[in-house]
Amino acid sequence: MAFLFGRGRSRTNTIDLSKQAKDHVLKLDGPGGPTKAEELAKVLNQMKLALQGVPEYESTPEQMYSLVQGLIEEDLLFLLAQNLHRLPFEARKDTQVIFSYVFRFRPTTASPKTDPVALSYVVNNRPEVLLELCRGYEHKESATPAGSVLREVLKNEAAAAIILYDDGEQPGSSLKGVTAIDRERPQTGSGVFWRFFDWIDKSSFEVAADAFTTFRELLTKHKELVPRYLAVNFELFFDKYNSILVQSNSYVTKRQSIKLLGEILLDRSNYNVMTAYVDRGEHLKICMNLLRSDRKMVQYEGFHVFKVFVANPHKSIAVQKILLMNRDKLLNFLSHFLEDRTDDEQFIDEREFLIKQIKNMPPNPIPPTRQPQPV
Amino acid sequence: MADEAIAGHYQVLEELGRGSFGVVYKGIEKATGEVVAIKHIDLESTDDDIQDIQAEISVLSTCASSYVTQYKASFLRGSKLWIVMEYLGGGSCLDLLKPEPCSFSEPHIAIICRELLRGLEYLHAEGKIHRDIKAANVLLSESGKVKLADFGVAAQLTNIKSQRNTFVGTPFWMAPEVIQQNGYDFKADIWSLGITAMEMANGEPPHANLHPMKALFHIPKNPSPSLEGNFSRDFKDFITQCLMKSPERRPSAKELLRHRFIKSSGKIEALQELIERRRTYDATKTKKRNRPFYQETLQDFSPRSEQDEWVFDTVRSVVPRKATIKSRKPSSIFSTEEALRRMDPKDAPLQPSSPAPPTMRKSTVLRQPSGAHASNTRSVRGPPAPALRRPLQPDMSFGNSGSSQRLFRRVPSDGSNSGRASSPSPFDDIVDENKHPNAVEVTSKEAILGRRLYSKALDPTLAELHAQTSSMAKREALAKLSDAFAALDAVDPEGAYHLFRNLNSTMAQDSKLSNAFLNTQASMRDPIESEKPHGTVIIKSAPANPPPSPTKLVLAANNPHLKSHRRRQSAALVNTDTGSPEKSARLERDAEKAALQAKYPGREPQPGMEHCKQLSDVLYSRWVDGLRLRWPGT
Repeated sequence: MAFLFGRGRSRTNTIDLSKQAKDHVLKLDGPGGPTKAEELAKVLNQMKLALQGVPEYESTPEQMYSLVQGLIEEDLLFLLAQNLHRLPFEARKDTQVIFSYVFRFRPTTASPKTDPVALSYVVNNRPEVLLELCRGYEHKESATPAGSVLREVLKNEAAAAIILYDDGEQPGSSLKGVTAIDRERPQTGSGVFWRFFDWIDKSSFEVAADAFTTFRELLTKHKELVPRYLAVNFELFFDKYNSILVQSNSYVTKRQSIKLLGEILLDRSNYNVMTAYVDRGEHLKICMNLLRSDRKMVQYEGFHVFKVFVANPHKSIAVQKILLMNRDKLLNFLSHFLEDRTDDEQFIDEREFLIKQIKNMPPNPIPPTRQPQPV
Repeated sequence: MADEAIAGHYQVLEELGRGSFGVVYKGIEKATGEVVAIKHIDLESTDDDIQDIQAEISVLSTCASSYVTQYKASFLRGSKLWIVMEYLGGGSCLDLLKPEPCSFSEPHIAIICRELLRGLEYLHAEGKIHRDIKAANVLLSESGKVKLADFGVAAQLTNIKSQRNTFVGTPFWMAPEVIQQNGYDFKADIWSLGITAMEMANGEPPHANLHPMKALFHIPKNPSPSLEGNFSRDFKDFITQCLMKSPERRPSAKELLRHRFIKSSGKIEALQELIERRRTYDATKTKKRNRPFYQETLQDFSPRSEQDEWVFDTVRSVVPRKATIKSRKPSSIFSTEEALRRMDPKDAPLQPSSPAPPTMRKSTVLRQPSGAHASNTRSVRGPPAPALRRPLQPDMSFGNSGSSQRLFRRVPSDGSNSGRASSPSPFDDIVDENKHPNAVEVTSKEAILGRRLYSKALDPTLAELHAQTSSMAKREALAKLSDAFAALDAVDPEGAYHLFRNLNSTMAQDSKLSNAFLNTQASMRDPIESEKPHGTVIIKSAPANPPPSPTKLVLAANNPHLKSHRRRQSAALVNTDTGSPEKSARLERDAEKAALQAKYPGREPQPGMEHCKQLSDVLYSRWVDGLRLRWPGT
């Protein structure tokens, strides 16, 4: 009996909870802001417990369903995402838990193949929720909880597309929902995805590192979505990538982004992106400068991008020219490059291979035998 | 940069200690005047760890409990990452166990367990599993507060009911279900707590006499250990509850807090006795430690740095170095002999059970039978030597500094990757501003190489070998050998250099020996890789990560451990058409080397032939490498 009673009571509660939370969120700005924040924290904690259950009392699918409905009806997902940084410490964590439960929730009757209800609602009708979560990186307080939610949500391709294709009020922007996206129209660069470059470059270590992890996730997870995106937005993307991330003043950003660049280029699904990338003389120059960085790990990561240029059997004229102009220097340089990496056989082999490749290049550039495929 | 601004909030004071991951300083937060501990990690000396560090920071930064070491901030300065933590001056429980009788009394244990359970109750409610509970990871404040530390392998669950499969932890403390890898949850921490309680009662965890790898088989196969001897029934029952083999029957932290053993426990202030005991103990040891000897000041701290004389004495709160050091550094024949005589499993210099055995975290990559990357990964994550040698190292477990787990993962280049992260010339290694004033000046190139040889190859090799040897007699012999080398290194590094050079060239002349030691590294490497018992082990559940074959790699797109593989793979891909010439070039190279080696075995360079000497140096270091790789399998 107590069980039934508990369930009945908590159902009314769950509907109330969303309403209460909304009231509090909207008053965060008012004179009683701090008190409202505390009250909101209490409501959010109850909401979390209602979703995840407590050891003595499991949450029921009905209860979760009504809570998810309440959150959607009150537009609370958006409000919470937007105000995440203003919540107290524990409330931010509770919000993170709420999001992750809500975005995973499927009614028992739904097939496991369908998208979770709330996620499907968001990508179709309320993409701003995801965009606001990204903007969590604007604040140190919200970066970690927002980042954790994002990384989980990004496993869903539609959600990733929302973030990649946000372009404000432009036609074909994801702001009108996932189905409205025009994938062939190049991005203007003002969408939320492009903000990541600054968050990664300019934030403090904790925020930057979290943003980078999300960024990496976004660019490596979806093997159809991303190559297409990169192909259409090739110039803008690599221009920003090279000028902001690879040249970042932050050691961690610089090193991680060179590494990610290597990963992106060498991912089979990005083959066309890779061939287009290594055709550019400009890219090779950046890369050769990395080899001369004063940080060994930057040199090392740079090497793994550089090798793609040299190993490419269809080098463009521009690339051949640069390599030939610097042939002697390169040969000399490479023969002493990271000499103390003596137990890294793979590296040693690759270095030898590059030396040999450069040595064996014909004295004058010859047109590549196979035209690079259009990106 | 935003980070620079944060850095200004702290006043960095004296160094507290150092480990392979870097240095820990005492500091003061300017605004509040609060004393903090600041870990200083040089990211430039780690190959692949930035994300791991970040994961740890993110777990720590979402904890706010008085039972968990409080994270404050982290920021970058150049390639150095500074992590600011709450300062805990009482040392770890492992340190506090060092003084005789090498155990805690039951009332003390009950208090510690109660505090730990409160910490676990908090973590578990937060969806976090610590996964590496052991005495070494339990820190005390000077007032006796007990805090969980080292979240290097902690897991954050997104769903409170979800389970983990990752094989991670430290063997002796690992729950059976973790070892068996068929899903585990918070209850795994409860098991480890039970083992830790036994560790505090007996001075070491059950099965400590076993090789860690063997312990891994033992734990799931045999009945749970139980507490024997003169202990109360409540305590024994508490252990029994914690060590229920079936996780379902094992009580939660919350339930255990209601156990009689816990409910009758006293106040945390009583723990100050343990801290006091340790201080008295240290005071008696201090004199013996004041011997000047060389300390290497490489930027990567190889196990050699165990002899460092950090200025612990002036920092009252710091628990100084450990007892066993005594037997390690013979200033006279006497002390060695004495040490050897009284050697028992607990304080043998290289014993793996007395030091905290390293936390396991080996990725599947390590099992991968392909040369280069595997060796690369190993060198970054795996070198077990420093962690195994903990008792011999400068004390890093005081306050919030090191932990075995850290030691290990952040070890960039002890021996296994000689100086990868350090400067290209061995000379740079000794030109270090941190150089200890007492250091013996080493000027000749031979001496420098000799020193390097000891710190990077010999010492870790011996430590590792020792750690893997179970017979007492053999252990003793190895310990002696290790001491002998340490002595040689302190007095005459040049001699060590010549010894090995000559040994190397003599061996090169004998075809059998040279085959056995000089040419087989490549083939030796792989099988050993997979057997290596220490090192941090994380084996992801099989479906996520099918063991890649050398010919065809099936890669989980986002597996961080596989990235370098992808590199390799793609490089191989581009290379396919040119692969064989490359190979033949290498064969050629080897043949060339062999020819040179035969011609000039170990001679001093003749005019115009200096390059041969360099070459032989290279070969020689390869041999040392090979030697090191051979042993882990024994």
